[in-house]
Amino acid sequence: MSHLTRTPLDPSAALLAISRPEHGGTAMFLGTTRAETQLREVTAIEYAAHDDLAEAEIGRVLDEARDRFGVEAFARHRLGVVALLEQSVIVAASAPHRAEAFEACRFLIDEIKRRAPIWKRMHYADGDTEWIDGTAHQNDGRPVSAG
Amino acid sequence: MPEEITVMVRLFASMKDAAGADRVELKLAAGTPAGAVWGHLPEAVQELGLPRATRFAINQQWTLPGAVLRHGDEVALILPVSGG
Repeated sequence: MSHLTRTPLDPSAALLAISRPEHGGTAMFLGTTRAETQLREVTAIEYAAHDDLAEAEIGRVLDEARDRFGVEAFARHRLGVVALLEQSVIVAASAPHRAEAFEACRFLIDEIKRRAPIWKRMHYADGDTEWIDGTAHQNDGRPVSAG
Repeated sequence: MPEEITVMVRLFASMKDAAGADRVELKLAAGTPAGAVWGHLPEAVQELGLPRATRFAINQQWTLPGAVLRHGDEVALILPVSGG
């Protein structure tokens, strides 16, 4: 199953993928493009990845979540331009009880953000764009840190 | 004369834009480690600086900066990530 897509994400498909008769608790996290970041108005966020590495790394995070928390797990990340109010990432976990589902869901998003080779490029209302990738100088010369 | 190897460097995000391409072919001395590739990239890429947290991959597998490149390898510079 591909963990990367260039088409809008579907939360109901994520839920269906991890629903099990014996699982009574499901937790889901959606990352959504928001209008403002550090006082600059954002109009969209563009995502790019090292596709092969990102697929493999997200797969490893999912396997780790299954082993560590005993959950069924799902993750998918958008690539390309993601407009305001659209989702850039979905992670979800189901378990017999809610505690494991919540823990696994947090683990999934934290580890994917930390490890998967996916970068975002902010698109601002003034027409400027900048990659958030830790390089010393962005388009306008201001130092920016990844986060 | 040291033996020369050819490697393909994959570039992403700011480095891709600075290079104007998502990959750059380099001819390097045999024994060059992955971590030394940056010093051979176009000047426009080097001007970005190399973040301390940059990771490296050879042929789609994570590796350490000291890993020695072989002829025909594809090496990727993975800048600090920001997905999600």
